[in-house]
Amino acid sequence: MISVVRGKLALIAKIVLLALISAIFLMLAQSAFAQKEYVIGIFLFAVILMTLFTYLTKKSIPLKFFLPGILLLLAFVVSPILYTVTMSGFNYKTGNIVSKDEAVLQIQNRAFEPDPAGTSFDIKIGTFESKPAILVSDIENKSYFLSTIDKRIPLSNAQLTINEYLVAQSAPGFSPLPTDQLAAADSQYSGKRFIFKDEYFLSLEGLDVAIVARQTLTYIEKQDVFKNIITGTIYRDNGRGNYQVAGDSAAILEPGWRAPIWFENYAKLFTDSRFRDPLIRVFIWTVIFASATVLTTFALGLLLALALNKPLHGRRIYRSILVLPYAMPSVMSILIWGGMFNSEFGAINALLGTDIAWFQNPNFARTAVILVNLWLGFPYFYLVASGALQAIPNELLEAAAIDGANPRQIFRKITMPLLLQILSPLLIASFAFNFNNFNLIYLLTGGGPRNSLDGEIAGATDILISYTYQIAFGSSTQDLGLASAISLIIFILVASISLYGIRKSKVLESFV
Amino acid sequence: MNKWLKQDLWRHIVALTTAIFALFPLYLVIISSFNSTGSLQITSFVPREISWNNYKLLFTSPAIPYLTWMKNSLVVAGSVALVSVVIGSASAFAFSRLSFKGRKPGIQLLLLVQMFPAILAISAVYVIMERVQTFAPGIGLGTQGGLVLVYLGGAMGVNIWLLKGFVDSIPKELDEAAKIDGASEVQTFWLIFIPLATPVLAVVTLLSFIGTFNEFILARLFLVDMESRTIAVGLQQFIGGQYSQNWGPFAAGSIIASIPIVIIFLSLQKYIVNGLTAGSVKG
Repeated sequence: MISVVRGKLALIAKIVLLALISAIFLMLAQSAFAQKEYVIGIFLFAVILMTLFTYLTKKSIPLKFFLPGILLLLAFVVSPILYTVTMSGFNYKTGNIVSKDEAVLQIQNRAFEPDPAGTSFDIKIGTFESKPAILVSDIENKSYFLSTIDKRIPLSNAQLTINEYLVAQSAPGFSPLPTDQLAAADSQYSGKRFIFKDEYFLSLEGLDVAIVARQTLTYIEKQDVFKNIITGTIYRDNGRGNYQVAGDSAAILEPGWRAPIWFENYAKLFTDSRFRDPLIRVFIWTVIFASATVLTTFALGLLLALALNKPLHGRRIYRSILVLPYAMPSVMSILIWGGMFNSEFGAINALLGTDIAWFQNPNFARTAVILVNLWLGFPYFYLVASGALQAIPNELLEAAAIDGANPRQIFRKITMPLLLQILSPLLIASFAFNFNNFNLIYLLTGGGPRNSLDGEIAGATDILISYTYQIAFGSSTQDLGLASAISLIIFILVASISLYGIRKSKVLESFV
Repeated sequence: MNKWLKQDLWRHIVALTTAIFALFPLYLVIISSFNSTGSLQITSFVPREISWNNYKLLFTSPAIPYLTWMKNSLVVAGSVALVSVVIGSASAFAFSRLSFKGRKPGIQLLLLVQMFPAILAISAVYVIMERVQTFAPGIGLGTQGGLVLVYLGGAMGVNIWLLKGFVDSIPKELDEAAKIDGASEVQTFWLIFIPLATPVLAVVTLLSFIGTFNEFILARLFLVDMESRTIAVGLQQFIGGQYSQNWGPFAAGSIIASIPIVIIFLSLQKYIVNGLTAGSVKG
């Protein structure tokens, strides 16, 4: 009886919860569609359908467990990855950020030149017949008129209030915009063309001056070209995200758009020496950095594990102290080390009695990076090596001793090979982790030193991942397409290393 | 005596030297935090005074909204840890206990997706959340809600893997018995598995908490306002490039922020080592 009531209560709770979730997502989906974010909107609708299908039917029990996790993965891991893959095939960088339609619009809006005399007028911003309008004062000729986007209304001086500088302040039918609304209304006025005469129009320069200008470029939609009305020059789509004069790669129109260029970003990385050489340099340092880190942290960790692998006075205290670097939040530790390596006031120079500019010299900076990473990483290998040492059966070592092997032989022939076998997946995992140890590089040296005066993007301590970040966000020209291409190359490298590691860990499972 | 020298001396030398290496930065940051001038420059490696100046600054100076940062970190890391473990354990349970079509490829796919370094997709995440911002300002770019969602997505892969390892180690007999008694899979999960796994889930929750607490780069990109920053971003921006001026308060701030994490870590050491050998590496 009780269980029936409980069952009913649970059912009601489930339906209420499902209704609530559907309502929230429905609302989100609607506002997504209202903002023309169709892909996200469709995804949100799909989430509702999937949720209702999964929890109202008994079609798939595993899905009941999976669904929230899968949806989160799809939204925030898988879709960014797919987006990255897409971006890597595009010419997507500073100057080529917008869509083609947007680029055409912007080129048209920007393409005008002032009249030969450079005429400008004082204006007041406001509305006429509830449309944006400007009240124009031609002070030199003492003539005044109203102008909107589609007509020009002449005014006689008697109708106006004119201030001491001969600027008209109000006119019949014209309501000036209150000062507190000026900033908000900016988009309705700037970039708009108000009627002047013939091919000339008025364009706002700030909030109280307009210049006389005329259009220079016109977009011919049928042929998808821009034509300069005055000189007759034709700009064609060059297939790489810009309108360009045929044969003259310098004569392009700004802005460009993000155009598909397929594998060009990848090709650039392998053939163009301006991109290939830094990439190779950074790759070599990444491998050196990751290997040096694994070797040093493993060596020190193993040494400690061996030293403390028997009852010893103060072993517990040693142990607590030795894991401290690993227990500290790494962001804090790295920043602390950054202060210690400060060339003027840092503790390292004070301790050594030296005057080294650690982060300005490539080799010192590299040494510092590896040293700090040793500090951060050795406790990990100390912990796992201690565990692994205990996993080696004692009988094995005793048997060897009985057979007459000395301690050194036992270590070299039995302990070490077994340890390596147990720990090799962890060594590989550590290599893969440090291959992408972004936080360390970014927080300690920022990838530097780098010669940014020469426009150099790759610094001496930059590893692939921090170099990629630098290309995408760091420098003045951002190249998201190229950065995405490098991202995918790194992914393939790291995934291969890790998969190899996992194969190895099958050995681990069968051993332990 | 001679035997002691031969057998134990080298052990003490190795352990002691490394212990000094391990403690040096920590010692330094502690004496800096009690130095009234708050200067990075070390005049003496032996502390001469104990001043609470830097600590007071943390809680009074408007340039460092320290308590707000701490609160933000706790809220963000706490909600990510709790939600991701609840969702992740459901998925892990399914992977470990239920048999269905596509289980093995599913696990492999999860593994592969998890290997894509989050930082590499950061520009895509940025663009997506920028779009979400236009229709749902509460969970878009610049909000803690949005950051939590992105973290949850990123935590799924790792947590499902970690939890699956733990779930596999829980004996199957119990939930098989429940099944025989007529319990459905969902009942088995809530009534048998969750109570059994509570200690394990607590450990993974805390690990996930530490991981999120440590996360820096996404938080940096997302949380632009001074008031919305997490402690990691706040302190980094505070010290960034101005080591000499801000060192004292930074030292004090990083000590207070580290203490809870260090305590959690040390008390969970045993479990963490098990988790580590399962193939995960702390970030």
